[in-house]
Amino acid sequence: MEAAKMASPKSAPKDAQVMAQILKDMGITEYEPRVINQMLEFAYRLNWAMGIYSSHAKKSSVDADDVRLAIQCRTDQSFTSPPPRDFLLDIARQKNQTPLPLIKPYAGPRLPPDRYCLTAPNYRLKALQKKVSSTAGRITVPRLSVGAVSSRPSTPTLGTPSAQTVSVSAKVGAPVSLAGQRFTVQIPSSQPAGKSATPTTPTVQNVLINPSLIGPKNILITTNMVSQGTASDPNPLKRKHEDEDDYDTL
Amino acid sequence: DRQTLVAVLQFLRRSNLRESEEILRREARLLGDDLGAAALSPASAGLLAGSGSEADPGEALLGRGTGAAPGAIGGSVATVATSIGGAVVVEDQPDVSAVLSAYNQQGDPTLYEEYYSGLKHFIECSLDCHRAELSQLFYPLFVHMYLELVYNQHESEAKSFFERFHGDQECYYQDDLRVLSSLTKKEHMKGNETMLDFRTSKFVLRISRDSYQLLKRHLQEKQNNQIWNIVQEHLYIDIFDGMPRSKQQIDAMVGSLAGEAKREANKAKVFFGLLKEPEFDVPLDDEDEEGENEEGKPKKKKPKKDNVGSKSKKQDPNAPPQNRIPLPELKDSDKLDKVMNMKEAARRVRLGPECLPSICFYTFLNAYQGLTAVDITDDSSMIVGGFADSTVRVWSVTPKKLRSVKTAADLSLIDKESDDVLERIMDEKTASELKILYGHSGPVYGTSFSPDRNYLLSCSEDGTVRLWSLQTFTCLVGYKGHNYPVWDTQFSPYGYYFVSGGHDRVARLWATDHYQPLRIFAGHLADVTCTRFHPNSNYIATGSADRTIRLWDVLNGNCVRIFTGHKGPIHSLAFSPNGRFLATGATDGRVLLWDIGHGLMVGELKGHTDTIYALRFSRDGEILASGSMDNTVRLWDAVKAFEDLETDDFTTATGHINLPENSQDLLLGTYMTKSTPVVHLHFTRRNLLLAAGAYSSQ
Repeated sequence: MEAAKMASPKSAPKDAQVMAQILKDMGITEYEPRVINQMLEFAYRLNWAMGIYSSHAKKSSVDADDVRLAIQCRTDQSFTSPPPRDFLLDIARQKNQTPLPLIKPYAGPRLPPDRYCLTAPNYRLKALQKKVSSTAGRITVPRLSVGAVSSRPSTPTLGTPSAQTVSVSAKVGAPVSLAGQRFTVQIPSSQPAGKSATPTTPTVQNVLINPSLIGPKNILITTNMVSQGTASDPNPLKRKHEDEDDYDTL
Repeated sequence: DRQTLVAVLQFLRRSNLRESEEILRREARLLGDDLGAAALSPASAGLLAGSGSEADPGEALLGRGTGAAPGAIGGSVATVATSIGGAVVVEDQPDVSAVLSAYNQQGDPTLYEEYYSGLKHFIECSLDCHRAELSQLFYPLFVHMYLELVYNQHESEAKSFFERFHGDQECYYQDDLRVLSSLTKKEHMKGNETMLDFRTSKFVLRISRDSYQLLKRHLQEKQNNQIWNIVQEHLYIDIFDGMPRSKQQIDAMVGSLAGEAKREANKAKVFFGLLKEPEFDVPLDDEDEEGENEEGKPKKKKPKKDNVGSKSKKQDPNAPPQNRIPLPELKDSDKLDKVMNMKEAARRVRLGPECLPSICFYTFLNAYQGLTAVDITDDSSMIVGGFADSTVRVWSVTPKKLRSVKTAADLSLIDKESDDVLERIMDEKTASELKILYGHSGPVYGTSFSPDRNYLLSCSEDGTVRLWSLQTFTCLVGYKGHNYPVWDTQFSPYGYYFVSGGHDRVARLWATDHYQPLRIFAGHLADVTCTRFHPNSNYIATGSADRTIRLWDVLNGNCVRIFTGHKGPIHSLAFSPNGRFLATGATDGRVLLWDIGHGLMVGELKGHTDTIYALRFSRDGEILASGSMDNTVRLWDAVKAFEDLETDDFTTATGHINLPENSQDLLLGTYMTKSTPVVHLHFTRRNLLLAAGAYSSQ
């Protein structure tokens, strides 16, 4: 929006004119027209609060104390101010006393521990109730680092070991960029088959699965994967629609 | 006053400081609850507070205002005061806490106008040579007295005080005065951290000894005692021996919210030299490079050394030791990058007044005034824009498109043993010139590429700094620490560390693998608007809305330099490539040049008429380019600007340099854009100047 001129005095309501005058007194000369509306809304809300307080105190009209109380309550709710200087100096002194940590060489991408990163998957996969025989054991597929191609070691999944249905719960509006990058997959034993978002093949080296275990399953997985392609964002949603019989979400 | 004195006595009694209490009681002539005159309360301050700032300690004891106010910088008194305020329940003093933690009032509020006009009259009648220096008192006294009146709820007096004297102040304080005029009640001050900090800190003035004696003599006359107390309370007068400064000299250095810098603030040793680049053999496998070997030597493989400064094997005394701060080791890809850098450097154009750089301007169209941050990689291959709609957009500037790494499915299919595996892991199907990164929830105010081009940082109004991977174009980490808008961020020249500064008035040093900051640089009175690393990564410069620039030591978080002189918030900083100088630009349209080693202002470049948002030195430091909101790019002769510095004993002792009015001589060229404010400047490795900005149609 372009920087606006003030609303023409003739057409604007009186409140808006007053607000424009206040802005001018404060030295603000350029602003979008919507600013006046926002300020008016703020003022109305304050007025409403003041009215409440004054009637609560059984006063006939709103007076200075009501104004003060209303402002105080609103500011405590809606606005916070940065910490005061002595507090900042204090925590700065504490932080600055610890020496800088040494840097380990050959550490690959230097990122904080995983729980502080945004690299975890934000969806889980729902198991598909298809006619596949269950395997003897539970197979947990470790996370594959698709992202950083450098020497980040793959970590074993800390998935929940209980037999649960794995469901697709892709967040609506998840950033496109997060789609399918890193994911945890479980194939619980109680389910006939787990839907694997991992297009694993026996040749992938950083998947610690005994290839023999997934022999037949693997074929099933890949055929299931064909339609999915690269596990991009719309597909988990699409799969949810396909799955008519199983809607339990975890 | 009475309350304060009794409160102090109470505290002394509680702390079993019997002797001090007796002395205080005696001096204040207290018997029971009687109180002496206000002039005697300074004695208690002398006992409680640390040593005074003036040369004469005896005088300091007498002349000082009550030190119980939070103004005492020692900190110990402040904590005492707050502890009193918090814990004490005094039987006959109802409002001790308010007195002690609040602004201490000197004298009668209705007489403030008298005090001020009396001082004004005295200063105006003083000798010319002293008048300029003494006039420095007007602004801080005016603001402090006004704020005191407001805080103690003398509204009408405050208003008339303001009306009467605000027109006398210097023109460059007008913005502050406008903010002040809206602060009419105590409640207004509560959320305004900058004003609160201003109240509790001392405004620093540098005055010559002669002028100071004059002032002291006048104010210590009996009828002026009150204003003397006020001066003592709120001003720190740094005395120097020598000629009084002229108005011009003073005007160059004042303007900040905290006054000037004390001399000892700029005395710490700063290692401004560069770190030694590791020497390694450059494989000369390009035959065309060999052709340029003019010495006529046979085409032998001569290892080319980095020519930045490693000619001598001795350690540069001004350079920090290599391991002063831990730095990441060089990876193979970094070494390859350095080789490329050296090859490009060999083809670099030498700039100078006769050989100006060509300027290539990247205009962002259809940004609708939403472009808020720009950065360009060191090898000029990618450009990133941060926008007000919270997106971060990365463009490839070269014909090579932006590729992200393939997904796991495709990665499993490639041949890992092939030589070009690094090419094969890239996904051609989704290659594009533009990649958009979503994640922030507020306008993106700062962006920074990592030197190895693997990461991108962006900081935003939502209070977070995000690390993005440029190999997958996804967000890796969100660093939360500032809970308020973050105005600027930058990667260290060696990667791994980055700095961010924001509305909470601190700058933070982070490492990519720590989710909490490693260092917190606190000290500014207002928002930190600009943060830059020194080329040797050992120091960080921060520019702030309090119109000062501070240089911080990464090793221990200390502030080693304070530079004052700008009259508006600082928006751009640039270190010279040799690490010795700093150039700063602010909303006042001036570029100021600073010598880091000596801590002095060495140049002032006037010419721009609006805020300077971009400053960059050329690759060898010969030219300084500045870009501004006035739609121009200006080139300045940096060699000439730094060439003749008088560094005799006088200037280093007092910090006063007569700045020559040579802006016109230093200006090498002014280049106008078509209504496109310049937001970013970047010299390529061959000294081509790239500029970026968003076209705005009005």
